[in-house]
Amino acid sequence: MDSLISKITSIGAQTLKDIDAASDLPTLEGFRVSVLGKKGSLSEVLKGLGSASPEERPKIGAAANEVKAKVESALEAKREKLEAKELEGKLAKERIDVSIPSRKLHRGALHPITQTTRRMVDIFSRLGFDLMTGPEIETDYFCFEAVNIPADHPARDQQDTFFMGPGLVLRTQTTAIQTRAMRGQKWPIRVLSPGAVYRKDNDATHSPMFHQMEGLWIDKDVKMSDLKGTLEFFAREIFGEATKIRLRPSYFSFVEPGAEVDVSCFKCGGKDAGCKVCKGSGWLEILGAGMVHPKLLELAGYDPKEVSGFAFGIGIDRVAMILNEIPDLRLMFAGDQRFLSQF
Amino acid sequence: MKVSYRWLKELVDFKLSPQELADLLTARGLEVEEIESQGKGLEKVLSALIVEKGKHPDSDRLSLCKVDAGSGVIEIVCGATNHKTGDKVAAAMVGADLPNGMKIGKGKIRGVESNGMLCSEAELGISKESAGIIILPPATPIGKPIAEILGRDDTILTLKVYANQGHYLSHHGVAREIAAALGLKVKKAEVKTLDWKGSPISVGLEAGDKATQFYGAQIDGVKIGPSPAWLVKKLESVGSRSINNVVDATNLVLLETGHPVHAYDSEKISRKKIGVRISKKDEKLPLLDGTEISLTGGELVIFDGSGKAIGLAGVMGGGNSEVSDTTKSVFLECAEFDAVTVRKAKTRFIKMTEAATRFERGIDPKNLPYVMSRLASLIIEVAGGKIVGGVKSETTPPKPRPTIEMPLDYVRKFIGIDVKDAEVESCLKALECSVEKSGTSFKVTAPSYRLDLNLREDLSEEVARSIGYDKIPSTLPKLSSQPVPKAFDPQGAEQILIERAKDAFVRQGLCEALNYGFTSAKALADFGLKSVLRVQNPMSEECEWMVPSLVPGLVGNALHNYRHHFGSESPVVRLFELRPTFHRSTETSAPGAELDVPSAPSHFETGIVEAWKVAFVLSGPRYAASLRAEGGDVDFFDGKAVLESFLDQMGAKGIRFLPLHTSRAPDAGAGKLLHPGQSIEVLSGNQTLGHFGLLHPGISKKLKVRGDLFVGEFDWGILTKMCRPASVARAFKAWGEFPSIERDFAILVDEKITADQITTVLKNAGKPLVKNAKIFDVYRGAQVAAGKVSIAARVILGDETRSLTEAEAEGVSTKIIAALKKDLNADLR
Repeated sequence: MDSLISKITSIGAQTLKDIDAASDLPTLEGFRVSVLGKKGSLSEVLKGLGSASPEERPKIGAAANEVKAKVESALEAKREKLEAKELEGKLAKERIDVSIPSRKLHRGALHPITQTTRRMVDIFSRLGFDLMTGPEIETDYFCFEAVNIPADHPARDQQDTFFMGPGLVLRTQTTAIQTRAMRGQKWPIRVLSPGAVYRKDNDATHSPMFHQMEGLWIDKDVKMSDLKGTLEFFAREIFGEATKIRLRPSYFSFVEPGAEVDVSCFKCGGKDAGCKVCKGSGWLEILGAGMVHPKLLELAGYDPKEVSGFAFGIGIDRVAMILNEIPDLRLMFAGDQRFLSQF
Repeated sequence: MKVSYRWLKELVDFKLSPQELADLLTARGLEVEEIESQGKGLEKVLSALIVEKGKHPDSDRLSLCKVDAGSGVIEIVCGATNHKTGDKVAAAMVGADLPNGMKIGKGKIRGVESNGMLCSEAELGISKESAGIIILPPATPIGKPIAEILGRDDTILTLKVYANQGHYLSHHGVAREIAAALGLKVKKAEVKTLDWKGSPISVGLEAGDKATQFYGAQIDGVKIGPSPAWLVKKLESVGSRSINNVVDATNLVLLETGHPVHAYDSEKISRKKIGVRISKKDEKLPLLDGTEISLTGGELVIFDGSGKAIGLAGVMGGGNSEVSDTTKSVFLECAEFDAVTVRKAKTRFIKMTEAATRFERGIDPKNLPYVMSRLASLIIEVAGGKIVGGVKSETTPPKPRPTIEMPLDYVRKFIGIDVKDAEVESCLKALECSVEKSGTSFKVTAPSYRLDLNLREDLSEEVARSIGYDKIPSTLPKLSSQPVPKAFDPQGAEQILIERAKDAFVRQGLCEALNYGFTSAKALADFGLKSVLRVQNPMSEECEWMVPSLVPGLVGNALHNYRHHFGSESPVVRLFELRPTFHRSTETSAPGAELDVPSAPSHFETGIVEAWKVAFVLSGPRYAASLRAEGGDVDFFDGKAVLESFLDQMGAKGIRFLPLHTSRAPDAGAGKLLHPGQSIEVLSGNQTLGHFGLLHPGISKKLKVRGDLFVGEFDWGILTKMCRPASVARAFKAWGEFPSIERDFAILVDEKITADQITTVLKNAGKPLVKNAKIFDVYRGAQVAAGKVSIAARVILGDETRSLTEAEAEGVSTKIIAALKKDLNADLR
């Protein structure tokens, strides 16, 4: 009996040694089969159990189970170790150079003028304005006559016009839509009209084509203070809470009273004499406005004693230049990918 | 317009600094654009004595002067030659920052140290050019600021005067505004009004209501010569050149009163008669500026007893009656001419004179006697002589200003400002309006010089600007419940589609470009395009022809990007544009069709078609960044992907692509700009929506394009009619829950067979179980016979209501194989 137990013990001891020495998973598995398998050494030894006495059998059995448990747990521990090592090797082998450039997708962008137009439309829409558009080649009538600039009036010098032919011009101002909006329509009128306009001018702040947004609001009891409040709302929404506006008396043939409207510099608030945005003045000239001239109301068949209205024209490009800190207007129209992909 | 701060101070006793004055005027609506101190840049220029003019040791041309500018003798190297020892000169000290931009530092000139500069008039900004340095009078004290010595101690304000503000175009006019603002009075030069009789020259007005008043006076014994210094200084301070004493006097009166006046040599007025009439056609008139104009028969001219024209009334005097050095007697004119007639003449002959600028805006019709009397007394003061007699002619007396009725609460209601009746009244009275309160309204009459005040709205502005626009409160307009007419764009539908289209391109990594609506003839010719709409007065040839297509603009942008790109890789070009193109409604497609100038058929119709188009251009790397070998440049199918995705996002249905070479009209639209073998016509039903493909190699070669440009252009009008409407949202579509079965086919077909033909056969033959069919590989090579191509195609079979059996799939496969053979002569590989 003792010899059987000692055999078992020695198998156990040898196996534990072998397990410890195993350097890979297949070898480890080989030991498992050669010891614990059906034809393994331990099973072979236990075949001799039949010749042992009934008293001895439990002892031998216990010794065998003890060895078996030890071997199994050693196998398991070793397996985990070897697996971890193998994974480590695999991970090291699978390493890639993550600093290689990505397959980056192109980022598209709306033109800064379009982005600005959308913001402006969004702000004015909240007050109840609707959109409308007019043609870029416009009749002299809508562009000038109907907005109180008759032929041979010095106010025509204020805008250097491109002529297309008798009675046709490239519109110099989106004001041209005012009479289009009112013609044959009953008031109230609340329209917003963004679009391209053309004047003979070309430098860092002037381009022969640029964009304006016209606003026209006609109803009963519309006051100049309503104009001021509307523009103040707009200025705060687009340039920030702290923005102030300043109205200066001015002349546009289609309004009376008329005003040039400045907004306080959103960048420096008038505190930086070297400010790039406002050139140190603290104010930005971005729009003209006023109360709709009674002649325009009469032309639309409205009675100026019954209704009144206000109108404004905002330089969209100018607002975009301010918001995006664009130094030269000509950049807007050069189609340069380096410029357009920034916004 | 320039006004002199000193001159204004002579007229109104105000205490404001130039900056304060500018702020006041700007706040009242007379915008000051520039404040220019005459002494600016002269702070470090002093009067000095040349103690000794010596030779420069290393130059024959330069002199080395010992100069005393009041604080010891210094050495200055000078390049001028008109000075000598003992002269008094203007010396710029080290640190001076001169008006011409020159900065004076200590430095060596040819090895000799120079401690300043002796200045010329040009260097001091006094004149445009000068021959040598300034030599001051011998009595000049030394070490004094040169601005003081030269009397350049005024400040000049540049005003922006609007078209309706003729009343501001004079020192009197600006002074009146200051006086009104500060509650002061204007002190005009006091003159004795002339008697309007005794003039040897008689006046005849023959132009009806175009010339209604004419005041004249003859002065004998004048001595033409230079003007006194004060007069020269006054004129030059506001940018008017001194000519001689008589002409200077007329210019001073214009700048002072705003009324243009003219002096004739009395002896050059034939038969002692002068008058105003309408010109005759083709009549010739030599003008003061040396030009001769040919009149058209509508202008107002001054004529004399011989009948000949001697002046273009209100614009410029004649060269045949002008005052010369030998003139001994002058006849003076102060008249009123019709604003529109003067403006037409000014515009026609491009004579932008000070006189015309004032007449076209309208002058004070009641001020003529004063202006004439002032002119006469001034001429006697500066040129001597005595008045022989005056003359006055008038067709109709000046019309009185209208009385404007304005309800008492009008300003409160219309401006929204809380102002008392008394304040309204005092504002208007300060502006020299007569105001009468009667019942519930004011009766207001504006002064004769305020031609711009005719309506109560005009008066409301006067009150508002007097109180200050900053005092107007901010309110929001009431939103009335009455519906607003939706004349042009119901619910902003057009706008929604425009935004959808632009966003679709942006999502695919394209940037929005904006090009001008006009371009050059050459830019169009490069594409074989022609515009039928020409700008009549282009500012350059780049702004001459209205664009008929967006393609030239975008290709131009692509070229711009190629030109500004350096390195071995191609630049990224991914641009789109959505804008109108311009066409005549009667446009014929015949090339070389006669181009006449279009005219508007009516006030309300332009007769022009503004056809919106949407276009894009692609070129350069497929990825914004990647390993070069992996990414490569975009090809036709990248562009096609952009196009398909765009159409899908627009919700376009029933779109077909046709190879351009099989198109019915391959040369229509953008089609002729493209490579016929690598382009498609995009159809919606039978309508051509547009074209897409590789820019035609012929055009590429002409434009020297370095890479492949893929361009597409589509008709926005057609697209918006067939895409998902703005008001319709995308509806949910369920997908099948049962598994689908795939079947692949490897076939050999003639290389002319298109992928489209194969998938069509697959879909039709396998109806209704084939849900999708696609080509997943194309192979030409060693194992494939010449003229053939090996295609691998896949069909997806399925049914929404059940799983298919293998037998069903086999059945479909058999049908498909048969159809491929029958329709396309395709063999299984």
